[in-house]
Amino acid sequence: MKELFPAKHVMGFVFSLILTGVALVVYFMDMSFTAGMTVLLITAFAQATLQVVLFMHAGESTDKGSIYVSVIYGIVIAIFTVLGTLLAMIWGYV
Amino acid sequence: MEFFERFAVPHPSPAIYASMVAIALTSIAIVIGLTYFKKWGYLWREWLTTVDHKKIGIMYMISALLMLFRGGADVLMMRAQTAVPENTLLDAQHYNEIFTTHGVVMIIFMAMAFIIALMNFVIPLQIGARDVAFPRLNALSFWLYFMGAMLLNISFVIGGSPSSGWTSYFPLAGNELSQSVGTNYYMLSLQISGLGTLITGINFIVTILKMRAPGMTLMKMPMFSWAGLITNVIIVFAFPVLTVALAMGTMDRLFATNFFTTTNGGMDMLWANLFWVWGHPEVYILILPAFGIYSEIIPTFSRRNLYGYNTMVISMVVISLLSFLVWVHHFFTMGQGALVNSIFSITTMAIAVPTGIKIFNWLFTMWKGKIQFTVPMLYALGFIPIFTIGGVTGVMLGMASADYQYHNTMFLVAHFHLVIIPGVVFAMLAGLTYWWPKMFGFMLNERIGKWAFWFIAGGTCLAFFPMFISGLDGQARRMYTYSEATGFGIWNMLSFIGAIGLAIGFVLIVYNIYYSTRYASRNIGDDPWDARSLEWATHNPVPEYNFAITPQVNSRQAFWDAKKKGHKLFKGGYKEIHMPNNSGVPFIMAVFFFIFGFGFVFSMWITVIASLIGIIACLIHRSFEKDHGYHISAEELKKSEVELRGAK
Amino acid sequence: MNINKTQPLEYSTEQGRLNILGFWIFIGAEVMLFATLFASYFTLFDRTGNGPSGSEIFEITPVLIETLLLLTSSFTIGLGVHAMRIGNKQAMMSFFIVTLVLGAAFLGVEIYEFVHYVNVGAGLQVSAFTSILLTTLGTHGLHVTFGLFWGIMILMQVKKRGLTPQTANKSFIFSLYWHFLDVVWIFIFSFVYLKGMM
Repeated sequence: MKELFPAKHVMGFVFSLILTGVALVVYFMDMSFTAGMTVLLITAFAQATLQVVLFMHAGESTDKGSIYVSVIYGIVIAIFTVLGTLLAMIWGYV
Repeated sequence: MEFFERFAVPHPSPAIYASMVAIALTSIAIVIGLTYFKKWGYLWREWLTTVDHKKIGIMYMISALLMLFRGGADVLMMRAQTAVPENTLLDAQHYNEIFTTHGVVMIIFMAMAFIIALMNFVIPLQIGARDVAFPRLNALSFWLYFMGAMLLNISFVIGGSPSSGWTSYFPLAGNELSQSVGTNYYMLSLQISGLGTLITGINFIVTILKMRAPGMTLMKMPMFSWAGLITNVIIVFAFPVLTVALAMGTMDRLFATNFFTTTNGGMDMLWANLFWVWGHPEVYILILPAFGIYSEIIPTFSRRNLYGYNTMVISMVVISLLSFLVWVHHFFTMGQGALVNSIFSITTMAIAVPTGIKIFNWLFTMWKGKIQFTVPMLYALGFIPIFTIGGVTGVMLGMASADYQYHNTMFLVAHFHLVIIPGVVFAMLAGLTYWWPKMFGFMLNERIGKWAFWFIAGGTCLAFFPMFISGLDGQARRMYTYSEATGFGIWNMLSFIGAIGLAIGFVLIVYNIYYSTRYASRNIGDDPWDARSLEWATHNPVPEYNFAITPQVNSRQAFWDAKKKGHKLFKGGYKEIHMPNNSGVPFIMAVFFFIFGFGFVFSMWITVIASLIGIIACLIHRSFEKDHGYHISAEELKKSEVELRGAK
Repeated sequence: MNINKTQPLEYSTEQGRLNILGFWIFIGAEVMLFATLFASYFTLFDRTGNGPSGSEIFEITPVLIETLLLLTSSFTIGLGVHAMRIGNKQAMMSFFIVTLVLGAAFLGVEIYEFVHYVNVGAGLQVSAFTSILLTTLGTHGLHVTFGLFWGIMILMQVKKRGLTPQTANKSFIFSLYWHFLDVVWIFIFSFVYLKGMM
């Protein structure tokens, strides 16, 4: 039975539960928008990294270079798209 | 009868009735012809079910040429309408439909298809691969594109064409202002063909990253393959944005959501924003393969290695990132503040730098070279000055404060045509002429080709240079007519003459294909241009397995060095080759997608659900299918190779 | 066929390796798809028209249940792939079935949530905010639904054909898809719900 539950996976799961709990702080505690967003950004990206690296085995094959470049490129362009859209649609009118 | 009323064209005209008759007659002629010559089986076995990248490339090319003539017919009507002031050849609605379909057809169904055609045919050969990574998906990509194109093309005889511009801005494209189903066609056809393009993107990235010949490191890859890699990276990250925007637009029109409406919090400019988040990278999706083609042609006909290989690669990587950071320059006049416009103004000008580097690299490649003025080289030489004019006017447009003067005028129209025509169209015609012998085993006639080049290059200049002047004088784009007092008449007449010149050029190209098919020599060897990369190392025409023995590469100009320095490309004996089986499923699945799209356009939900079930059935079939392909044994290979060598 | 015995089954054929890389690139495209939805969501977040705003309609309980279900399912499918790698077909199938059941439960809660939104006057057509909210959640939900059917197909093949390079490859790719849906949910959880209720 034990071999079906490798410690790495169990630890990863526990850690992701902890990160979810930390993110919930913004709901249960009264904090400023900036502080809340900081917490959420950190927990969300930590959680995503955990999934990609640990559960999705991104770095295990010889293609890990291509895989990481593809994912990071996607994230970078995604962030630019989100921020650029907000800049042009909302923030840019002051 | 009520059911059929929805299919009526809302703005009928004699031209549309004539097209209906023409479409019906052509379809009947094709069916009768195929039956009479007993070619149904051939069509099905060799083309509709093929997974061979070369045949798929050729099918893309034929479709692109067909679409070129469809879009070209639109142009002639538009330029004829505006050739003289207060013309009544077309009414306003008809003119709107024509410039809309012209844009959509030319960008999505002509230019995209053409670049994918050449990438399909050339890249696997150029990197020494047997096929693409996912041959079955490649066929699916083509058929999705083809069905998307057909869906848009039936709009003008069934239900009415889209008429809110190829950018389809809301609220104009919303239900209130575009009441016919035309915009539904736009949304669905782009969605379906866009899905095909996304699949192509994934397919080619994997092909280029994983299937290069032994010894061909990334930095030894021919420049067209590099351009293909970067292009497909942009495709993969840009097209999902279009997918979402189109889905939201479709929902606004059919399900009364409030994304781009002007009530209940909807934001019409969000459409423009999302459209250009995709739309600007799309421009580079079109232009980078063209850059790649010129980077193959210029060294070949200058008899020199490409100058500045590394900077070529770096500039393309930089372009691929910057292309995602400039989109707001398409709507500088929206009303946002100076900070936003300044940021996007700067990124826009920055992207001119890597492009400029490439221009200088081509010039330095030619420097002291022994230039041969063949047709492909003529296009490359014509491209550099015309594209530069188009490019620098783009930098003018990129200055946000000055853009308030140029925005939405004919100046803009002149700019983007002078970028896209020399950039994409010249490159595609150059590539077509250059790789034609590899595709069909004979060369296109040089003399007719040169006549065509001069008509096209001259026509381009004559058609678009006058628009700079009329645009600065204040002629707005997309206006179906103007008064004589504006003084635009002379410039528009010149444009019309230029458009006729272009049309003559394209007719000459068709004549050239006909003439060369009949009279050109078939005895041209495998390498008629004395070229430099691997696609010329295999036979003419290319056997289905591409290379009997996988080539081994140890330099950038692999084939050239093999010829001149005696490197051995093909080492070892024949080994069994594994090939993928043909399949009809991609075609059938795409037909279901067509029905799905058609049903969606007219909100016929039973049709939609039925075709969706068909699509899912195809997916399930694919999931459970055991398809291991087939093998070509070493003996068969040897026999076929002897035959191919004997044919020379 | 060339089968490389030194690597896990899913990587053992050339086509298998191509498939896995291809799927990773597809995930890159999916990142952009959801990024576009998020960009639109943030843009339209305050544009509620006459409809309710996020903080008026979000409820923490169903959201927390959904999050736990999906996180756990991501954990169990990871265990499934681990079981596949040690060659334990029975355990692998059990873990995959648990994953799909958790996924179905997630969908059930999500459907409850949608019904709740419609009941409190936040239907799809009410305002720009509700349109984009339900579209973003719905896109994720559709992905999960598609995943359920896909997972069932794969389980049927594993049961019938055993753990072959092909079925292992498909199962592994399915696990990538499932983990990715979890990643997307984490962002929805953080930036749609928690930010909306902050």
